[in-house]
Amino acid sequence: MTVEEQVREIVARITRVDKGIITRQSTFKEIKADSLDIVQALVAVEETFGIEIPDEEAQKFQNFGDFVSYVENQVARKGKA
Amino acid sequence: MSLDGKLALVTGSGRGIGRAIALKLASQGADVVVNYFRHRESAEQTARDILVLGVKAEVIRANVGDPAKVDEIFDTIGAKFGRLDILINNAASGVGRPIADIDVKAWEWTMDINARALLLCAQRAAKLMAGKGGKIVSMSSLGSRFALPNYTVVGVSKAALEALTRYLAIELAPLNICVNAVAASAVETEALKFYFKEGLVKDSQQATPAGRMVVPEDVASVVAFLCSEEAYMIRGQTIVVDGGTSVGLFALAGKGG
Repeated sequence: MTVEEQVREIVARITRVDKGIITRQSTFKEIKADSLDIVQALVAVEETFGIEIPDEEAQKFQNFGDFVSYVENQVARKGKA
Repeated sequence: MSLDGKLALVTGSGRGIGRAIALKLASQGADVVVNYFRHRESAEQTARDILVLGVKAEVIRANVGDPAKVDEIFDTIGAKFGRLDILINNAASGVGRPIADIDVKAWEWTMDINARALLLCAQRAAKLMAGKGGKIVSMSSLGSRFALPNYTVVGVSKAALEALTRYLAIELAPLNICVNAVAASAVETEALKFYFKEGLVKDSQQATPAGRMVVPEDVASVVAFLCSEEAYMIRGQTIVVDGGTSVGLFALAGKGG
């Protein structure tokens, strides 16, 4: 499973929406994620990939695609380390 | 008051009240373990500011709502320092929702971080304080005793924290550990701006007989006092720091924080 697919599954599980409706353009508002959902999704993704996503970075995410791109970069960086 | 040579853990000390407490304790000579969960840059800044005061600072990332992470904090402190003198149970979270919208997830998240964390941290801290005593101070809020709008789950978690403070004060007294809490009204912090609309800030100013909102340093001063030997006979109490809000009529009208 790709990073994007794993992140999508996590977000879908936490927000209880069908993962089929989550595209890279979906905003957190569109998938009805409230502040608690977002924090829990961040924590679950951090634990899954062994990375850290500070709120300072998370606040910059405009949509699901931004979230996935950040995670992909962190995972790639971790792989090189 | 001097805390020279003491080691303090302040949970949630990257920002706001926790940061002010960490700096206050450091200014009185304590080495400080800065715990954070979501704001790394802020925590690292707090640690840098502590180092400037000439004491040691250690940064540990952990969600205190997760028992395994709480263990990690204390395992690290045990391995690195072998002791702990002061635990400030400050980290808090929660969702501002009407009762109809509080689901099990929101309830558990809030209770785990705001109330259960005190139990788990106090259990581990007591072992590191054994033999020479210590101080445990938790942050509560006026929402533990007054019904504030959209504050139910946080208010209930703080009521649990205050009750637990009383029980801990009795059970840990034989170990010479003083346990207390501080309940503040709305304190001017980033978290306040995040959880509530700007209106609350204005309401709080108007509802405070002291004429201004409580700032983090007001709370930090009281916490530092509770960590001093001068406060030795204060046990199991929740000290209110609210500029008089809760004894004024405005609090009864549901304002304050």
